[in-house]
Amino acid sequence: MDQNRGNWYILTGLILGLILGVVYSWVISPVSQVDTHPSLLRTDYKDIYRSLISRAYQFNNNLPRAEARLELMGDDEPALALAAQAQRFLAEGGDNEMAIILANLSAAIQNAELADNPIPATVTPAADPEITPTASSETGENGGNNPEITAVTTEHPDWTPTPAPTESPPFILQDSSPICDPTLGESLIQVIATNGAGDGIPGVAIQIALETDPNEIFYTGLKPELGLGYADFSAEPGLTYQVEIPDSGLIVSEIEVPTCQNESEESYWGSWEIYITHPN
Amino acid sequence: MSRWSLFFIVLLLGLGLGLLYGWVINPVSYQDTTLDSLRIDYKTDYTLMVAEVYHQSNDLEWAMNRLTLLKDKSPLHSIEESLKFAAQAEYTLPDMFLLRDLHNALKENN
Repeated sequence: MDQNRGNWYILTGLILGLILGVVYSWVISPVSQVDTHPSLLRTDYKDIYRSLISRAYQFNNNLPRAEARLELMGDDEPALALAAQAQRFLAEGGDNEMAIILANLSAAIQNAELADNPIPATVTPAADPEITPTASSETGENGGNNPEITAVTTEHPDWTPTPAPTESPPFILQDSSPICDPTLGESLIQVIATNGAGDGIPGVAIQIALETDPNEIFYTGLKPELGLGYADFSAEPGLTYQVEIPDSGLIVSEIEVPTCQNESEESYWGSWEIYITHPN
Repeated sequence: MSRWSLFFIVLLLGLGLGLLYGWVINPVSYQDTTLDSLRIDYKTDYTLMVAEVYHQSNDLEWAMNRLTLLKDKSPLHSIEESLKFAAQAEYTLPDMFLLRDLHNALKENN
């Protein structure tokens, strides 16, 4: 009997010690969170980090450096993560300028990816007299302890920082018509930009105007879940809109929210759909 | 050896194994961290991004707000630490100049 009690108290001591040790190391004094990686940041801090990467890109125009920094965030699709953040930002009533900065970097990355499948040679890069061509130099290591950050340094003399609009290839109008789709839930002007192969083209700047008064610029690809070439704008019934693709000379005017009827013959406001495509 | 002595020896052994498990084998997972916990090289790159933007915008208040998120003693301290690391890691001269510019601006503002 005494011998059996002896065995049990040894086991009890061991288990008690284990429990105390784990509680101390997990709860009372866990390993402090230092020297962590950007991919482990909380979502809101990741947003701040991405915003900063986009702002820095806006000023230094150094795409390889921006891409290397975005890689640290651990997003599967950095361009789509930026676009999603821009959308989230706008939906939360955030600064429009910040959303455009995020969208610009997203579009730049997606355009660079499209370079493997380039849009034909009729593309005319938009001239920007404010940006002087700069000499880029790859300089190797940018921090011996951080092999993950690519050190591509762009010498940038004092150019005027301009939120660069995306180059818009000359699109042609494929279709522009009112649509009745009760599932949309609101009246939209939807623009779908595709290339000759039918693939959506992200980063196409679209200017929307009430009558001829320039109003707002938005970009395709900010709702990647609906397609890389998709963009939409909330329209108000009774107003006449005009859509323009800057630098392409394409203008679609007389756009109005149509009146539709559902199966119960009840009226509702419809939407407008515009398909543009590159001719080749 | 008395029962109590043996009990405490085994208790200490268990405690040691528990600490080994909780600190080394399966430590608290690093998730949802904040900017101040970043490793020094990432912090320095963060600071460099702030300096890149400041170089063009000259918006010192914005730069200070961003550096404050690193939760150092002060934004000036953050940039000083970054400068030290950048020098040690042999950052390129243009990048060093950007950090230096922001450092000088913060110093003048102090």
